[in-house]
Amino acid sequence: MLVLTRKVGEKLLVGEDILVSVIEVNRGSVRLGVEAPQSVSILRFEVYERIQEENLNASQSVSPTDIQQAAAFWRQKGALQEKGQANED
Amino acid sequence: MKIDTKQFGGMEIEESEIYTMPGGMPGFRGMKRFVIIERQEIWPFVCYQCLDDPGLSFYIMDPALFMPDYKLDMKQAILEAGWEGDRPEDIKLYVVVNTSAGVPEKITANLIGPLVVNMRRHEADQLVLHKSPYSHQHLIFSQPLSPPAKNKPMSREQAVPA
Repeated sequence: MLVLTRKVGEKLLVGEDILVSVIEVNRGSVRLGVEAPQSVSILRFEVYERIQEENLNASQSVSPTDIQQAAAFWRQKGALQEKGQANED
Repeated sequence: MKIDTKQFGGMEIEESEIYTMPGGMPGFRGMKRFVIIERQEIWPFVCYQCLDDPGLSFYIMDPALFMPDYKLDMKQAILEAGWEGDRPEDIKLYVVVNTSAGVPEKITANLIGPLVVNMRRHEADQLVLHKSPYSHQHLIFSQPLSPPAKNKPMSREQAVPA
């Protein structure tokens, strides 16, 4: 990992077109500005990690039985709603 | 061509049914080729089977079925996926579902990691929504179904087998 020191107002160029600026430093927090092409997604890593974890869980924990039962619930719920609407009419 | 699947065993598909994910999915970057398998017994869920690893599959669904007002900035999505020039009509939207609670009735949908599938390019991408009002574990059945007839009414928590 590259580690370097920057002061407030200084910038970093990543690749050819991603510019990271240090805007403010305040009690353990650093405010950064990122200029990048629109096609580059910029994420707080925690959000990415959450998706990663959710994907891992989804690929491992959902069994065919689970999904068939959930599908059955879905149909049952749809049927209940239709019945409810019919009663209201 | 013949493929192996996690849930449905061996099956025959057309080459044109394959969707490529150049960037993979978070957690599965190297997995590039997928196929969408629709089966009546699991509808409204759809199986998203990986061809590079037959042991890897997801269940996905169209979010409009349970949340008609689910919104995604399609223009931004097209840019992020590198699909400049394509129209929103070329793109189908899915969300990945999860039963990590161990109870099918509590199945959740990941609304901040939608899967966009480009029907024209035969490519797909999983977006990561940065500023989003949605949850990564949205309960699809937001209102509990009445449990099957039991002796006395139970709360939702008690109704779930341990």
